[in-house]
Amino acid sequence: MNFFTKHVSREIPFAIGIPALVWQAVFFYIPLLLIIFSSLWSLSTEGIFQGLTLKNFINTWDYIYLKIVCNSLYLAVSTTILCLGLAFPLAYFIAFRAKKQKNLLLFFLMIPFWTNFLLHIYAWFFVLEKQGFLNTLLISLGMIDSPLHILNTPFATMLMMVYYFLPFMVLPIYSSMENIDRNLLEASLDLGAGWLQTVGKVLFPLSLSGIRSGILLVYIPAFGEFVIPELMGGDKQYFVGSVISQFVLGNHTAPLGAAFTVMSTSVLVLSLLAIFVVLRKLGEFFTRGIA
Amino acid sequence: MLRRLPLPLFVLMIYLFLYAPIIILVLFSFNSKSFPAPWHSFTLHWYRELFQCTELWQSLRNSLLVASTATCTSLFLGVCLIFFQSSGGRVKKFIPLFYGSLVIPETILAVGLISYFAILHIPLGLVTLMISHTVIGLGFSIPVLFVRYFQLDPRLKEASLVLGASPMQTFFRITLPLLRPTIIACGLLTFVISFDDFVLSYFCSGTAVQTLSIYLVNSLRFGISPVVNALSVLLLVLTTILALIFFSPKIRTRIF
Repeated sequence: MNFFTKHVSREIPFAIGIPALVWQAVFFYIPLLLIIFSSLWSLSTEGIFQGLTLKNFINTWDYIYLKIVCNSLYLAVSTTILCLGLAFPLAYFIAFRAKKQKNLLLFFLMIPFWTNFLLHIYAWFFVLEKQGFLNTLLISLGMIDSPLHILNTPFATMLMMVYYFLPFMVLPIYSSMENIDRNLLEASLDLGAGWLQTVGKVLFPLSLSGIRSGILLVYIPAFGEFVIPELMGGDKQYFVGSVISQFVLGNHTAPLGAAFTVMSTSVLVLSLLAIFVVLRKLGEFFTRGIA
Repeated sequence: MLRRLPLPLFVLMIYLFLYAPIIILVLFSFNSKSFPAPWHSFTLHWYRELFQCTELWQSLRNSLLVASTATCTSLFLGVCLIFFQSSGGRVKKFIPLFYGSLVIPETILAVGLISYFAILHIPLGLVTLMISHTVIGLGFSIPVLFVRYFQLDPRLKEASLVLGASPMQTFFRITLPLLRPTIIACGLLTFVISFDDFVLSYFCSGTAVQTLSIYLVNSLRFGISPVVNALSVLLLVLTTILALIFFSPKIRTRIF
């Protein structure tokens, strides 16, 4: 009896701890495997399972679908580059230049990060709409005669993408810059390196880890994003996310949708790897000649 | 040092870019005339109207219910996993499994989940929303909780054990209190993520249940209305309060 209770009580922590892993396996990994499996299904017109096939993958190698993947790639890459371009100087300013205002600046960067992003979309809607704030203001000032069409253009989509994803890029870069010893920057400047050289050879390589996590946080969701292009871009262009949702919610098109998902996810992963390789090469290029 | 002026100017421009639309939104929620008209006079009329909108309150209730359930479940599961680790389990090598939810776009997870629910014959609704949001919550909180757990001084635990406390007592009196700020921070973050989530909610909610995000998208399709402005202001106030709690020195932990 004593032996039995001893064994059971030894397993209690295991029994308490394991549900988290089970949850993750059952509701995260199995659904993902299901997508991969169902991409191989062949369904009859009534939606009945008929066997395994590679036909779905062959069907996704179509000009239309490849164009959609390219749209998403373009959107994700340009959002990431624009965010990086704005975030790097901003993170530098918060980490090194802002002294008393540092916490305030960080706090105001966090607020958009916490608010419902549809609220931001609504705010821009309000400003950019045909009868919105900007047009009304410009007309009443007499600067334009007829309202500008800003909403439902690629420009509006890009604006909203950068607006929404910027904090995700700034915060990790700021985090890694904060760990940089500011004496290093001063030493570089004192020893005769120019401003550009200091940024390229000292600041950039040392904040590379933050840049990497920033890219992860921006590039991946931007690739799958479909709400912003749909609401701001007015459905003129199709993106991966919207196509996947249409396939999966449609009648008997789920296997084709799954194949498209697998195809676009592999493009996502490969492009991400390519970006990281470019980033590493860039770091090596800037620091060439430094041991 | 040549570029002393342009950089602060640049930073100012970015903050202006981030906040100008929000400020305009807030101002016009108090305007007595509906939008295309310019500023007329101050009113709280739209806020009163907001309180009469039952569909909105229904969706807000759903969002709060889903967010709090997802937060509690994922925190509970996370703390249980920490308990397993602290009583000698080797969980560390399984933690990267939870990073998956950060790497996979939400759309793809959502698509997988709805086909999965369809196969299991689980009807879409509040339950499926709670399940899917818990997955996201686990992906955020478990890595953060474990990073903090491994940063704790192991000597504190050893001292407690050596001085005669049982492993159970050590966990509840030493480990858990030390982790409390991280647990609160993770809870707030999970709550906010779930509350703001649109993609998972859109897929996993079915046709009958509406969350606040879905309600907002639907009202967006009808164009601008001062009532939505008023709603946005209320949400902004709520968010700012949560962010202030998050930023308070007691809870402040490094998430990134």
